[in-house]
Amino acid sequence: MSLMALRERLNVLVNSMFLEGLLDQQFRQLQMLQDASSPGFVAEVITLFCEDSERMLTELTKLLDQAVVDYQKVDAYVHQLKGSSSSVGAQNVKLACIQFKQFCEENNKEGCLSALNMVKHQYYSLRSKFDTMLQLEQRIQAYDSEQQN
Amino acid sequence: MEEGEGSNGGVFEGGLEVRVLVVDDSPVERRMVEGLLKKSGAMFQVIAVDSGKRAMEVLGLTDDKAEHPTVDHQKVDIILTDYSMPEMTGYDLLKTVKEQSCRKPIPVIIMSSENEPQRISRCRAIGAEDFILKPLQTNDVLRLRSYARPTELSPRTGTKRKMALELMAENSGSDRRPRLAGLAVS
Repeated sequence: MSLMALRERLNVLVNSMFLEGLLDQQFRQLQMLQDASSPGFVAEVITLFCEDSERMLTELTKLLDQAVVDYQKVDAYVHQLKGSSSSVGAQNVKLACIQFKQFCEENNKEGCLSALNMVKHQYYSLRSKFDTMLQLEQRIQAYDSEQQN
Repeated sequence: MEEGEGSNGGVFEGGLEVRVLVVDDSPVERRMVEGLLKKSGAMFQVIAVDSGKRAMEVLGLTDDKAEHPTVDHQKVDIILTDYSMPEMTGYDLLKTVKEQSCRKPIPVIIMSSENEPQRISRCRAIGAEDFILKPLQTNDVLRLRSYARPTELSPRTGTKRKMALELMAENSGSDRRPRLAGLAVS
């Protein structure tokens, strides 16, 4: 596949993610931070986001599995996940976290469990698209490197 | 230079470099802020840490360094800290920095995802230079330059800095009204 075709495919993917609500305009901010001096910035931040999110989702699962839930700790993780998703433009994840925080404030375990499932659902939907995005980014980067050499 | 004081900054081609200490427990948000600062121009040198405690170490404000003031530590021109962090919050860090009795305390800018009037007032009351809503945008980062010590900047940019500071004084420190629209900050 040509470089132009790869770029086009990436654009189509990203646009579809905006249309589905997976991403918001903050993602454009992230894209703007990538340039010749930081060619892999988007990939780096997305990878960091995914690693960090999965760590937090694991911790949240453990916390909500306890007989007595520490809602303060749960809220702290949800707050951080909301923050990082907001930073990268992961809109649906962010919105699901906002709902989750509401249940934390109410100390509503059932609500929290349901919210956690929703956050996971939104995250993994996003993650799957991010994986494709990163593969395309890698191929584009490889092309660019070849051209420079 | 005394511990806890703003530095002169380094020198790079085109002007003075501003050392920004970014404090945020989220690795994603730290990286994004770092990227924003670096993208805005070559004038920001970023030191990023993940906690208030670590920030204290960088600033040379830990108890053991106070006992041994000759221990080397990095000089910082501006502190950009998240408000909500475990153990030591951004507010705690702000308070500690401002309590240092030095001639020119380091400017501290608070970042927060929550637009809470009480939180903002609380921070300003103890000396926060500004309060920025997360996620940060490019124009937020550009504002940071106005918090660097203006007398140290090159004459070409000195006038704009002076105007920015005058505006800041008139507006009680923040010109980011669109994001805090309708919010009365004392």
